[in-house]
Amino acid sequence: MKTAAILNHVTFRYANADAGALDGLDLEIGQGECVLLCGSSGCGKTTVTRLLNGLIPHYYEGELEGSVTVAGREIRETAIEDLAGIVGSVFQNPRSQFFCVDTTAEIAFGCENMGLPETEIRSRISRTVAEMQIQSLMDRSIFKLSGGEKQKIACAGVAAMLPELIVLDEPTSNLDLDAIEGLRGIIAAWKRQGKTVVIAEHRLGWLEGLCDRAVLMDGGRIAAEYPGNVFFSLTPQQLADRGLRAFRPAHNYLAAPRGLQQIRPFPETGTVTLEEFRFRYGKHMALDIDRLEIPAGAVIALVGHNGAGKSTFMRCLCGLQKGFSGRIRMDGKCCRPKDMQRLSYMVMQDVNHQLFAETVLEEVMLGADDDRQQEAKALLEKLEIAEFQERHPMSLSGGQKQRTAIASALLAGKRLLVFDEPTSGLDFRSMVNTAALLQMPGSEVTVLIVTHDMELIDRCCTHVLHMENGSIS
Amino acid sequence: MAGLFTAEIENRGIVLDPRTKLAVMLTLVIFALGGTGSGIAAVRLMTTAVSVLPMLLLLTAGQYRKAALTGGIYAAVRTAQSLLLPHLTGAALSVSGICCMAFVRLMPGLVMGGYLLSTTTVSEFIAAMHRMHVPQQITIPLSVMFRFFPTVLEEFAAINTAMRMRDIRIGGRRAGRLIEYRLVPLMVCSVNIGSELSAAALTRGLGTKVRRTNICKIGFHIQDAAVLLPAASLYVLWGLGMIGVIQ
Repeated sequence: MKTAAILNHVTFRYANADAGALDGLDLEIGQGECVLLCGSSGCGKTTVTRLLNGLIPHYYEGELEGSVTVAGREIRETAIEDLAGIVGSVFQNPRSQFFCVDTTAEIAFGCENMGLPETEIRSRISRTVAEMQIQSLMDRSIFKLSGGEKQKIACAGVAAMLPELIVLDEPTSNLDLDAIEGLRGIIAAWKRQGKTVVIAEHRLGWLEGLCDRAVLMDGGRIAAEYPGNVFFSLTPQQLADRGLRAFRPAHNYLAAPRGLQQIRPFPETGTVTLEEFRFRYGKHMALDIDRLEIPAGAVIALVGHNGAGKSTFMRCLCGLQKGFSGRIRMDGKCCRPKDMQRLSYMVMQDVNHQLFAETVLEEVMLGADDDRQQEAKALLEKLEIAEFQERHPMSLSGGQKQRTAIASALLAGKRLLVFDEPTSGLDFRSMVNTAALLQMPGSEVTVLIVTHDMELIDRCCTHVLHMENGSIS
Repeated sequence: MAGLFTAEIENRGIVLDPRTKLAVMLTLVIFALGGTGSGIAAVRLMTTAVSVLPMLLLLTAGQYRKAALTGGIYAAVRTAQSLLLPHLTGAALSVSGICCMAFVRLMPGLVMGGYLLSTTTVSEFIAAMHRMHVPQQITIPLSVMFRFFPTVLEEFAAINTAMRMRDIRIGGRRAGRLIEYRLVPLMVCSVNIGSELSAAALTRGLGTKVRRTNICKIGFHIQDAAVLLPAASLYVLWGLGMIGVIQ
């Protein structure tokens, strides 16, 4: 078998990092092979993808030892621009991999950079579009596409450059199950065309039957290698022992009927009633809930396909949606959107948006009276971040930032916490930690989690609310 | 999304070549703002006609509300200028005269700028620069910058939302630090996104030594002629006035 890439005794340490990312790694990738790189966060799988597309050493700086050969070229001696037509890359965040406003221009972008003639680019675009069956996405505004559609356009932009090797770094972090199915189809087609595909992923189930080899990494080395069929016969327990997420969720709550469903015993102490939760964008009814009673203090998962109206629901619930006029009844009081803003708090997917102060303690105390410092410290203790109270919030890890945001909401007396995809892109251990965290706020606080992560739901939620097309009935 | 180079490509009405828009913009700056040739009656008349052009262009782009608003304000100020001013005297005259004058001169250019930014896509803009032989060293950084603006605006909106939920606002307890609270997360998020964006651009070959091509079709059509004609006639009238053929 011809090789597509060879990593020989590769050791790498990012500039400014204390510990090395890779530690004497040996990996050979055959031409036409589909390889899965998996392992817990920080195991070095993203670093491997960056070596393959030349971002290391040409963009991310650090100390590199050993040799990396991609398509017969030594990576250090090949300019990253020259690799562009040979290695294609798809990244995790759809917000930061687009350059154009419209989809057709976006697919053409890479080819234009290579200086291909216009006729050639046009024919490549039409071929790529036909192969991926994305005719309906052409000449659209990228800002109006869903996450899954964006990821398809990213794949198309890469495919049009006709690379031999395609690396994908956590391409499904922001996708729902249907969108993942679409991505699976694209990768299957690439395999048929004989392209080499390398995928670094936390979510594994969708790759079953697709990848030829799974490489389990740990601490910058290869911990184990499995042929595809052997890997996908590992049991959930074996996966958990290796720090990996389960292949198939035990339950698929998207298959359940719409509405609220209790999934584990929960002592009812009171209810929070939502009334007239309706909102429309122009003619499109985005949210249409007449009345919904949720048990106070419950941990509720909100599930639904992309575009089901979950984001609108969240924004309404937090009193952030302009022009929304529904009500929440809680403790016998009737809350209008203005009061909701005071009562509820959303922990965003990108927590960086909501941390403002210079230290964790100051962050939590923001807006509170100075005499509540003891209370704040007790909260930090409870959420296990007391030791970081003097650190700058931006210097913390993702999970610790989440905890800081929750602590600040709890001190501000918020009664309704809304989480937007708290586990997207998290490995098994972090997911388990988040699940524990989501149960911490206590019986005073009702928690609502918008998520695609069925494993998370099974671990921490008491109820599931299934919503489609803005409706729960 | 309205704003910088984030043109609505799905229903955008009549499309003009970016160079046409730039030419009209330049003409407005020379004649409406600069007051060139205002001594010649025909030029004055034509300048008014070209000043109304941006509002008409907004109409053709389907931005009816903006068109009506700017058109209404412009008409009101012009009416006030010709009907009201003659009856004023003293300080009232000089203050309102200066206000009307500034307004009438500035507004057409500003409206045109808004039209240009809200109806041109980045690829059209780059294609136009390319045709005008602007070097790649200028167009590539510009294109990345334009790509970056809407993203920063999105980040800014998200941060504002977060601040509302924390009840940090003007008049609140820590209002003095509002700017700092907003800038720190904005910078952190922008740096992250900027760095990811550059990485993605490099893997897709932005900055190769080969000359970049562009599939974006721009070119002059009948609508461009219709817009360019009144603008060009201004220069002709001015020329005629300068050599004394008309007064």
